[in-house]
Amino acid sequence: MSWLSHELRLLQRSHLSIIALILLFLLSGLAVWSGLKEIKHQHDTIARLAPLQEQDLAAVAKTYSNAANAGYPAYYTFYSTWDTPSDAAFLSIGIRDSAPYVLRVRALGLQAQLYEGEIFNPELALPGRFDFAFVLIYLTPLFIIALMHDMISGEQQSGRLRLLVSLPEGRLVWLRRTSLRFVLVLMCLVIPVLLGATITSTNLSSLSIIMAVISSYVAFWFGLTLLITTQGWRSVTNATALMSVWVLLTLVLPSLANVALLRAVPVHQGVDLMLAQRQAVHGAWEVPREETMQRFFVHHPEWSGTAPLPQDFHWKWYFAFHQLGDESVAPLANAYRAGLLERQAWTNRLGWLLPGVGAQAILHRVADTDLLAQLSYQDQIEAFHRQIREFYYAYLFEDRPFGAADFAKQPVFQPSAHNIAPPEHTFFMLILSWMVFLIGVWRLKTVRLDS
Amino acid sequence: MLIDKVISSEASSSEYVLDARDVLAGYGSKTILHELNLHIRPGEIYALLGANGAGKTTTLSLFLGFLAPQSGLVRVNGIDPFTRPTEARKNFAYIPENVALYEHLSARENVAYLLDLAGQHEDASTISNALAAAGLDSSAFDLRVGGFSKGMRQKVAIALALARKVPALLLDEPTSGLDPQATTEFNRLLGLLRQQGVAILMVTHDLLSAADIADRIGFLEAGRLVEEVAAQGQDRFDVRNLHRRYAGQAI
Repeated sequence: MSWLSHELRLLQRSHLSIIALILLFLLSGLAVWSGLKEIKHQHDTIARLAPLQEQDLAAVAKTYSNAANAGYPAYYTFYSTWDTPSDAAFLSIGIRDSAPYVLRVRALGLQAQLYEGEIFNPELALPGRFDFAFVLIYLTPLFIIALMHDMISGEQQSGRLRLLVSLPEGRLVWLRRTSLRFVLVLMCLVIPVLLGATITSTNLSSLSIIMAVISSYVAFWFGLTLLITTQGWRSVTNATALMSVWVLLTLVLPSLANVALLRAVPVHQGVDLMLAQRQAVHGAWEVPREETMQRFFVHHPEWSGTAPLPQDFHWKWYFAFHQLGDESVAPLANAYRAGLLERQAWTNRLGWLLPGVGAQAILHRVADTDLLAQLSYQDQIEAFHRQIREFYYAYLFEDRPFGAADFAKQPVFQPSAHNIAPPEHTFFMLILSWMVFLIGVWRLKTVRLDS
Repeated sequence: MLIDKVISSEASSSEYVLDARDVLAGYGSKTILHELNLHIRPGEIYALLGANGAGKTTTLSLFLGFLAPQSGLVRVNGIDPFTRPTEARKNFAYIPENVALYEHLSARENVAYLLDLAGQHEDASTISNALAAAGLDSSAFDLRVGGFSKGMRQKVAIALALARKVPALLLDEPTSGLDPQATTEFNRLLGLLRQQGVAILMVTHDLLSAADIADRIGFLEAGRLVEEVAAQGQDRFDVRNLHRRYAGQAI
């Protein structure tokens, strides 16, 4: 195609454009590489769990294989749980860098164990992670602005505009240049993603959604730049206006919305749950043991017919008050979870209006690295913890001996498959972005020719 | 005012490549041109003179299709340039006052690129021939035009017009800023195009240059074509007399 070679030559002679494209390609590649490295680290960490778990279990089994009851093994045995990263997680780390993807639990109260991670260095999460989603959402618009802000005004200011548009296909020049830049920007983003997806064998449906999000978000910003650059302003005015829009759409409005959301939907920290549960557990030592057991039997009548507590310490009382500790904070835990889900729902709603927020939410969802993924992992831990409790309660409440053979019968954690269904706003976000793009392209018809 | 109509209004419109009849034109509610009648035949050079604000650029904008007439008729080779701009633009080449080209491209690359936007895909030898015919030294063909003088840039634009082989040429102040030698060279090129049958409308302040090259000269005054004179042949006007008459309008 002749026009393509001409436009490529023009672009190639514009050093700033070439530097911008190379830089975008490098940043995109670096982000993908960094994501792959982080996910490999997480896979390696998870892979180390199994042998460590075996060693741990062997040590407990060796020490307590002749225990009179299951209390000691139940108390000292830790069980590994893990949340394997999805094959698209390298693109969007989401909250996997701050929320735990590996958790060792035991039969004691769960709530305190679930949120123990929150006390570890939360500042680490502040700067955010440099991943592909960051490059796409925050940096790519800047490169599009650099490539597009003077596409029309540059011709006007250099005095070529009238000559260009006096030519029969002169009007097509804007469309040609927009298409070429659009394709080049897309290639800078897509090539590293495809390489990363090949390495991780990302499934086709996830990859299709990711490609749709990337192209739509790029289309949105191209459309926006066309809407502004067709106003007939000078290059510097275009650049200033576009930068203002970038600051507004990617920084100011999402930040304001986040503050509003934090105020509108107050949610306690998980660590508060942990403290409340611990207080309940510690307080149980001061409560008469029979009273504790009666409260436990209310919710667990299946054990009410078992032998009464002896005079001295018994593990079933100990585990019962731990479970009561969990149950005492259950309303708080439910409220905490509901609050988080409500915030997530509002964030998704915000994505209907702010393509940056929308695109990020979709990428996190498809990568299964968002809050829903974290809550799903917690659900799996809770289910597994229930299995551990039920396993030991049979021994503890029925005073069955726990021998070496019983160690082999312990439950083993099985992570569930990733759910990558994109959020509801996905289709709307894609349509909105392409509509902005088409309106921008349509606006090219209105470029003032007599200026 | 005496309107010396050299061209008969009875002539058929197909006879003219550039044709404006009873045109009223302007911007918004403001009318700039009043009942403009301008007809240019193939192989004819028409120089349109007038003071700043007289309506010369508005006249060009009409033929370029940038502006719709409020009333009247504008045609380029029989085509309305406002309603059918793409077809009309295949019939003319336009050279603005200051020929701005792509600084990072060579003369040859500029012509090839602009030809592509004109919908033509010429080979390298055709482009070289056009550049040579336009008088550009062959050593400059592959130089970036960033270092070209105004005269050299105009030669590149003329080369584009030559390569396009269009029936009409619209020129906006073509000799403004050119030295006398470059002006003479430019006029020689226009003569070449006239021989090829190209109809040329030249908007200019330069009466002497117009007198040298044009076949007819029209004078615009406050949007009205107040006089048309023959610049060649037995009826040729007296330049000094004409200059005295219009000097106050700084033509």
